[in-house]
Amino acid sequence: MQQADIHLFLSDFFQENRCSIQPLSSTAFEVQLSNEIDKEIMNRPFYWHYIEKMNGQPSPFKLKIETDSSKMNDDKKTEFIHYGSPRLRQLFSLAIQKGKFGRFYEQVQPELQSVPLKPWLCLNGFINYHSHLKKNRFFSIGLSLITGEMLNDFHDLVQNWKIDSQLPHYTFTLSPLVKESSGIERIQHYLVSSVEKETHHWADEAITKMNVDLKLLEQFYTSETSSNETYEKEKQTISEQFQPYVTLSIENGAMFYLNSHPVNYPPLKF
Amino acid sequence: MDVMIQRDHQWGEQFSEALSQPGSLSTWKHYNMGVQVMKEMVISDFKGLVTPKHLPHVTFHDYQMETAKKVMEEMHGKAILADEVGLGKTIEAGLILKEYMIRGLVSKVLILSPASLVTQWCQELNEKFFIPAVEQRKKPQWESVDVMVTSIDTAKKEPHAETIKTIDYDMIIIDEAHKLKNKRTKNYQFARQLNNKFCLLLTATPIQNKLSEIYYLISLLKPGYLGSEETFSSLYKSGNKNDELQQLIQKVMVRNRRETTNMKWTKRIVKTIPIEFSEAERKVYDSITNLKTPLKEESNPLQGGLLTLTMQRELCSSREAAFMTLKQTLEKMDSPSPTIVEEMQSIMVALHELPAHPKAVKVVDLINSWEEDEKVVIFTEYRATQLYLQWYLSQNGITSVPFRGGFKRGKKDWMKQLFKNHARVLIATEAGGEGINLQFCHRIINYDLPWNPMRIEQRIGRLHRLGQESDVYIYHLAIQNTIENHILQLLYKKIGLFEGVIGELDHILEKFNQQSVQEYLSSTFSSSETEGEIRIKMEHLASLMLEKNEGENRHATS
Repeated sequence: MQQADIHLFLSDFFQENRCSIQPLSSTAFEVQLSNEIDKEIMNRPFYWHYIEKMNGQPSPFKLKIETDSSKMNDDKKTEFIHYGSPRLRQLFSLAIQKGKFGRFYEQVQPELQSVPLKPWLCLNGFINYHSHLKKNRFFSIGLSLITGEMLNDFHDLVQNWKIDSQLPHYTFTLSPLVKESSGIERIQHYLVSSVEKETHHWADEAITKMNVDLKLLEQFYTSETSSNETYEKEKQTISEQFQPYVTLSIENGAMFYLNSHPVNYPPLKF
Repeated sequence: MDVMIQRDHQWGEQFSEALSQPGSLSTWKHYNMGVQVMKEMVISDFKGLVTPKHLPHVTFHDYQMETAKKVMEEMHGKAILADEVGLGKTIEAGLILKEYMIRGLVSKVLILSPASLVTQWCQELNEKFFIPAVEQRKKPQWESVDVMVTSIDTAKKEPHAETIKTIDYDMIIIDEAHKLKNKRTKNYQFARQLNNKFCLLLTATPIQNKLSEIYYLISLLKPGYLGSEETFSSLYKSGNKNDELQQLIQKVMVRNRRETTNMKWTKRIVKTIPIEFSEAERKVYDSITNLKTPLKEESNPLQGGLLTLTMQRELCSSREAAFMTLKQTLEKMDSPSPTIVEEMQSIMVALHELPAHPKAVKVVDLINSWEEDEKVVIFTEYRATQLYLQWYLSQNGITSVPFRGGFKRGKKDWMKQLFKNHARVLIATEAGGEGINLQFCHRIINYDLPWNPMRIEQRIGRLHRLGQESDVYIYHLAIQNTIENHILQLLYKKIGLFEGVIGELDHILEKFNQQSVQEYLSSTFSSSETEGEIRIKMEHLASLMLEKNEGENRHATS
């Protein structure tokens, strides 16, 4: 994300959360926080507890935000927000929290007869590779709950569609043949088997390193008179440090009801 | 090979619950923003550093980034960071910690630093790295605080130690770790019991005298890496297998040196100022020297020799320092012979009558010859000298603040602040040398010379470090024809301590493991009977040190 993207993200985020924005320049704005966002990010639980107990009139904070470091001056009330700043990290995790579960409908144009919308399940998340080092990989998998067809990068396919959480007029949804819970299972099964097919040099390497350290520890304790307990504890710590494993983590996902097939969008207009 | 793969069971349950409560579902925009953020959180490679992207306001030098990568990728996060003083070990440790935290490998952290540095650590981590480090308070929340900074002296006390030992830390950082080289100390045993996946030990002087000292430090990191204690001593203590040991050490230690960092460092300008004793002072010095034989008869020869030596060194620093030792010795003696009592008492009287110490006079001259706003740090080995100097400077209208290792954290910070904003001089005793950064000052006076050459490097490093923008002036004061001069002429000059080859010094010491330098010096001066004997022994030491170093250089270039 460049600073311009961050600026856009911030103004999108605040507006979507009913905080009004007053532009101050092309890189700065003032935002009137909503009660809800103030509670989430300003870290003043006692204030809010008090206001609610006393039935008081809340006055949520206003923030001045600048996204260009060269325009920062001594005004202590202005927050400079950049890629690594704690404020942005806080908003990032809030954004993930707020986008966790969805149900969305393709907004099809009304036609002469009602249009069927077919159910898809999409899961987005990470495949995390752990050892003494760590990396991750993003996945976005869509599964048709009617045909069982599975699509990679599902989110990229649908993100620019006309989509909303309201069911449009003159449409109806088809009942899924696959239950959403078994859909989640299927997608995870697919991810697991694709990970299994990879070659895991990184894991071999970690195991080798672990064995070296375990052997050193053993030698250390053969003559050392320390208790067995510390030896076991240290052995366990070494395993925890190196033991390679993979985790799937689903960060967000949604039911999609689509008339068009995701690879055939945009639909042809007549 | 087969790798264990864990599925995510939690999300699905929450999802079906959310679907049954439509009010809790996300908007299309929120959902998209969530995905957008996730894509930002991808770290597609095990290797490399993502931290610099997060911290655009911090300039990381190449050697610091290389160090962080090496520690994580090759040393698996268990390393001794042993850069020379002033190269930014804290920055390197912060960089490594941050990288682990961003990658999600580390969240629970304990940082043990000298008490005087706790505040500084917290500040750097918070302001530079955005790591929410918390300073331990009266009632520390060991369990609930994720990144805690505390002094080892606090942590090892009950009830804290009990709790800390039960916590599984992801990472432990120990600053000034050379203090843990003695396995019999409480500090060492405490450190040995901490559970950690990753561990960084920071020290500028991993080896102060003998290469073998490093055994215990490494046993904190990786027990068994240098074998068991017995195998280690039989293999390496003799010093025959130093090269092998050196290679092993390099796999767990990173040591950046000034000259290899490719950075422009300001110069060090070293001046040795010879000082003459007055006739009266010379007389007292000689009578102290003459105490050696009777003192040896009074107690055992070694003790008597050492005591004389101490008082000789003290007189070169201040009357007060020598006086204190004389007084204490007299009090402690069991039924001393009347002649030695008389002799010592007359020395004490003579000390009383001496005028201002010639070194103090010289210091005032020096300071007065500089611009009004020039600041200077004076290092001395003796408390008594520190007090005397403070008094003497104020008599001459020069403001000064004292600095000692024993000061509480807050007092140290305050003294540093006073020095920066109000006083011209900071007078520090040896223990005060650690953990203060004084880049805003660029003059240093070594009022007396420590016997461990590494100490000099550490003193200079307080000023000559990252962030120092001017050349650093270093003044050594040495009194002619005294023990001080022997050290200066016979050893330090020979090994090039003052000629700017600084930085190679520790290199020399690393190789030099025959016998602790300090021990050798003490025994030379306390047991030698004649000047000539001292001279020969000192030359022997100097040539040993140099030979070892040149041998190493030849080896490296061939």
